[in-house]
Amino acid sequence: MTSLVTASNVSKRYGDIRAVDNVSFEIEKGKIMGLFGPNGAGKTTLLKAVLGLTDCEGQLSVLGLDPFKQRKALMKNICFIADVAVLPRWIKVSQLLEFMEWTHPNFSRQRAEDLLSRTKVRKDAKVRELSKGMVTQLHLSIITAIDAKLLVLDEPTLGLDIIFRKEFYGNLLSDYFDGERTILITTHQVEEIENLMTDIMFINDGRILLDSSMETLPATYIELTTSGADADTARRLGPIYERDVFGKKVMSFEGVDRERLEGLGEAHTPSVADLFVAKVKGAAA
Amino acid sequence: MDPKWNEDLPIYRQLRDRVVAMILEGVLGDGDALPSVRNVAAEYRLNPLTVLKGYQELVDENLVEKKRGRGMFVTDGARKQLLKDERQRFLDKEWPEVVATIKRLGLDVASLLEQVKESDDAGGAE
Repeated sequence: MTSLVTASNVSKRYGDIRAVDNVSFEIEKGKIMGLFGPNGAGKTTLLKAVLGLTDCEGQLSVLGLDPFKQRKALMKNICFIADVAVLPRWIKVSQLLEFMEWTHPNFSRQRAEDLLSRTKVRKDAKVRELSKGMVTQLHLSIITAIDAKLLVLDEPTLGLDIIFRKEFYGNLLSDYFDGERTILITTHQVEEIENLMTDIMFINDGRILLDSSMETLPATYIELTTSGADADTARRLGPIYERDVFGKKVMSFEGVDRERLEGLGEAHTPSVADLFVAKVKGAAA
Repeated sequence: MDPKWNEDLPIYRQLRDRVVAMILEGVLGDGDALPSVRNVAAEYRLNPLTVLKGYQELVDENLVEKKRGRGMFVTDGARKQLLKDERQRFLDKEWPEVVATIKRLGLDVASLLEQVKESDDAGGAE
């Protein structure tokens, strides 16, 4: 079994609101999946379901387990960093390491200490004495010292300055990712992980707008910068989204042959951020 | 610190080109180790598979060899090979254009060469 997460027709309702609406997808082992969506799109709800923090309709299997019913077994092989700092403010770093050692069977204290020794985080400091960046470093050190199969990151770099953000992903790649482990990341900072992820998923209004490997994106999505009569010809090929840039038209196409577009203007592969806007706005239009 | 990636060329290809430039400039010599995949991935926040693919291109071109468990190394004679290719490319593609320009502008070849020689003597030739 190479599929680590399998969701089929998963839904989650809060009263009348469908936070997650009939969603199906798979995440294979060894992948780094980026999950993007506007605020309120259902990202966090979906992550919660994967982590077994909420029940849901439909079939959801994570590491072959039902996350909600078999959460305890699942937690041995899964770890999570939430967008809100969840480390208690009164705890000392050394106490936190002890606590982890007692409670988590796959936690290596030695490894956590090695990782922390490369940061400015002192072991006798309390969490409340640490800067936001240091708390994130502490969190990441603890999480990467867990020998887990799936790592879930929900806006892990929110509120961090640019140096810490870069370090975060650098450390993630050098200390955690080994091609065997699997990572699921949500972030608004698309460009930060654009070249890092292997797979990408867009979600909006609880539904999946796009689910693709990064490798196949350039063959499917093309952005064309054009004007005048060429723009009219291109428009007949059915762009999913169109915008004006400096008096030219920029059109996003899905599944249209590159050869058909190349004579009509400048064709290139859209950045993930531009593709995201095209998909979300195109779907709304 | 961050490289600017060209959007229209796959990143693995750009990595390959960068290593080739390093070999040509002599930053990487014969037998030198390439930075590890993990380090490059972490440094530039790239997927390790992308880095590996770039390195594989170099292996396929015999510019780099894989040593089991030790990493990637510049092949003996890689720079020589690259220089040979680059010189050939210059002579085939760029040189005829230069010659055409010289003729079109009516420049005197002998005095041009003299100038190159003088500036070499003044600046200390390589």
